Amino acid sequence: MAAQLVLSGIGQGSIYALVALGMTILFRVTTIVNFAHGELFMAGAFVIYALLRWGVPYPLAMLGAIVFLFALGNAVERGLMRPLAGAPHISLAMMTVALSYLLRGAVRFVWGGNVRSLPPLFSFAPVEVSGVIIDAEDLVIILSAAALLAVFFVLMRYSQLGKYAQAVTDSARGAALVGINVPAFHCLMWGVAAVVAAVASILVAPETMLYPDMGARVLLRAFAAMTLGGFGSLAGAVVGGLLMGVIEQLAGGYVSTAMIDIASYIVIIAVLLLRPAGLFGRPEVVRV
Amino acid sequence: MNGVSPAAKAAQKPAPKAGRVLRWKNAGLFAVLVLLALPPFFVDDYIQFILDLILVYVMVSVGFNIVLGYAGQLAFANAAFFGLGAYAMALCLGRFHWPFAAALVTAAGVGGGAGLLVSLPALRLRAYYLAIVTLAFGELLRWGYVHASSLTHGSAGLAVPAAGVFGLHFATDRARYWLFLVLVALTLWGSANLLRSRFGRSLAAVRDNEAAAAAIGVSPALAKIGAFSWSGSIVALGGAMYALLLGRISPESFGLSQLLLHFSIVMIGGLGSLLGSVLGAVILTAAPELLRDIPGLEEILFGVLLIAVLLFMPKGVAGVLGRFSLLRERLYLS
Repeated sequence: MAAQLVLSGIGQGSIYALVALGMTILFRVTTIVNFAHGELFMAGAFVIYALLRWGVPYPLAMLGAIVFLFALGNAVERGLMRPLAGAPHISLAMMTVALSYLLRGAVRFVWGGNVRSLPPLFSFAPVEVSGVIIDAEDLVIILSAAALLAVFFVLMRYSQLGKYAQAVTDSARGAALVGINVPAFHCLMWGVAAVVAAVASILVAPETMLYPDMGARVLLRAFAAMTLGGFGSLAGAVVGGLLMGVIEQLAGGYVSTAMIDIASYIVIIAVLLLRPAGLFGRPEVVRV
Repeated sequence: MNGVSPAAKAAQKPAPKAGRVLRWKNAGLFAVLVLLALPPFFVDDYIQFILDLILVYVMVSVGFNIVLGYAGQLAFANAAFFGLGAYAMALCLGRFHWPFAAALVTAAGVGGGAGLLVSLPALRLRAYYLAIVTLAFGELLRWGYVHASSLTHGSAGLAVPAAGVFGLHFATDRARYWLFLVLVALTLWGSANLLRSRFGRSLAAVRDNEAAAAAIGVSPALAKIGAFSWSGSIVALGGAMYALLLGRISPESFGLSQLLLHFSIVMIGGLGSLLGSVLGAVILTAAPELLRDIPGLEEILFGVLLIAVLLFMPKGVAGVLGRFSLLRERLYLS
């Protein structure tokens, strides 16, 4: 049973990893914790839903979600976040809360609060390998997430873009001094973070229910993943997400199914109280 | 006497009308209170319910503002305090059949205790870390309400019987309005005084610069513990009022959306302004009632208001009123 639970945990966990990765990219470069990331995820799912309703074929609808969210991310940075450059944490957090209200309100305004669903993306039969049943959808999610993560690591480590990201993360002012256009870079990173949210919704939406409040659940799981892995660490977000999925499934399988819902809260509280830096994070140094 | 500077002279001169000004101010406040006690005589049942609800949210946002605006702690445990107060009230009245006053005191006490508990991580964690751990605490409690079903009836919700004290029975929204008005007035008066005290100033010092505050002998730990316990008990009182008003409470009332509502009230009213919290509660409780027929419009309004506050009026509605000298209140904000 353990192997089965771990496997489905990894399936769930790769979604958490994707969402946490999107939030971490943004946090590293802009130091903003995006409380609206769950709503970006929700918006991606609803864009696919809307395009499919208009008769757009599935692959194009997915592409549409990516393009739309990239544009949305850019617009958010230009219109809402850039005027707040240098503002305290509480204002930045509040702006992302405002964004989450707007997105939820817009979706509820257009589609109402009813639960909707997408047609399934694939229809493969489950595969059985030595007693462990592998869901084909899970496998696709895991593989796509792994591919996306690989692309990110290569980009971050070896490309010019990755070097810019490191420079801006290290010191925005220093980066500006050597000629990096920091606001434009922030803008790009908002777009990238939103695209990662869109990819997560492309992979997950066909298997889940669509409703305006669907983002909250994912957001809290992503917080747990980031906390467990270490806030601001890309590798930490991924490992934390996978671990979070496995912990949930194991707690659900061996303790009680009710534990699935609170495993992430307990992880958050335990990690922040015992080891705030998480698995891969560096302890925060307060400069006086 | 020639050597004395004008400033020193001004300091020596006794403030001539201080006593009279204070007397007028108190008389004015009393008149406002009397005016506020009148609406139940001429509004209909629906408006009366909204007025009661506004008082509940005034209570809640005043409590939240103490932690968020005065102590500057980005803590999101407010819905947790609110829910604890509501459940404490419901259980004390409906299950243990305690007298009303005892139930009210218990609710405040439970909230204060929870505030104390939440202040402990606040001693170690800052900014987002604190926000996330307190968010998790709130969701954990909500899970508790669902699963401790022998006590709370789980998702089905818990009925709250009407109650009374000193022969007064708070069975109607009109009667409850006067009760709530007294509680809110006492809380506002007490909080305004406490914020002006040495303790209140220590909160602002810790918010503006914790290291500097510690260097001049203010204990950040004591300030935070005090702020959270005080805020927790006020918010829990708000929760108790909410339970009395609705007559039935269920776990989903105390989740993320409740928290975001409190957050928006405090932010839109004005961080670090008690009167701002009052105004924010009035605006954000009344406006959704006008928009409730169109789904989603309420959330869009909240989003737009929050953005407007952030971009154009950083001190909220209270700050705007202050700029036009319509509101005289020291905001103690940098």
